[in-house]
Amino acid sequence: MLWKDKYNLGVEQIDAQHRELFRRVSDFLEVLRSSSSWEERVGKVNETLSFMKDYVITHFRDEEAYQIQIGYPEYDAHKQTHDDMVSYVAQFAAEYEQKGYDEKLIQQFAGKLLAWLIHHVAADDQKIGAYAKKKGV
Amino acid sequence: MENVLYKPFFNATREVFQLMLDISNITDKPLCVDGVCYPAGNVDIAIRVIGDMEGMVVYHFPKETSLKIVKIMSGGMEFNEVDEFVASAMGEIANIISGNVMSALSTQDITCDILPPEFIAPETIADASAKYKFVSGMQICSEIGDIDLNILLNVKSGAEKA
Repeated sequence: MLWKDKYNLGVEQIDAQHRELFRRVSDFLEVLRSSSSWEERVGKVNETLSFMKDYVITHFRDEEAYQIQIGYPEYDAHKQTHDDMVSYVAQFAAEYEQKGYDEKLIQQFAGKLLAWLIHHVAADDQKIGAYAKKKGV
Repeated sequence: MENVLYKPFFNATREVFQLMLDISNITDKPLCVDGVCYPAGNVDIAIRVIGDMEGMVVYHFPKETSLKIVKIMSGGMEFNEVDEFVASAMGEIANIISGNVMSALSTQDITCDILPPEFIAPETIADASAKYKFVSGMQICSEIGDIDLNILLNVKSGAEKA
């Protein structure tokens, strides 16, 4: 299980979205890392990738709206981190499609995504929760 | 300068191990970079540094340690070989540690940036070490194995503050 309770920020809307995001990443990894042939998996991999990708954008948008709502002082830097990730994902998706759904490319993408996501939620996002708590919002 | 670099790299690695892997008991020991020679089959990643300091930091993740790291991060999935997924995850960890160090150094008025991770042949470290003035290394020891950090940097003229 990818999700850990220590990732909770204490902001119900964001925590619920993080849990959902981790669930979708987990589904994606389960299919991606299963032992059946690539030809058998690729359709399901692409489906779970698309499902996860859409949710990343939704979640980033909502989390940024929350940061504005509470006057989070590190909003600009945090948004830039989100924007950089969205650009990376879009760039990867274009190359993946262009190269005919290459397995090595998506394995590479998934390894980076997993490490990035865990660090982002366990480190960067925790600062939002700490600020909200300090401000009593 | 070695002291200015050693501690931030150790602290950043320790923080990343705690946050991402829930491993808090880690120790360090200095490592001699000159002549270092790693066997193939592991994950060797260079993070190039530009700005007030220029050069690279090479991370050596042994195969077994890399497999344990991705197992923890993935919530228990089994990995048997260092494939694209595993190598890329190690690259991102090296990227995160290095990025955190650059942020820490900026508070000491040392401005540097990093480039995306590059996977390198292990002999690159020994070949490169002669080109750099500040050469330092550390081995980070933990319950999931040891990782080595080889720091190979030059300070741009006029930028040496420490």
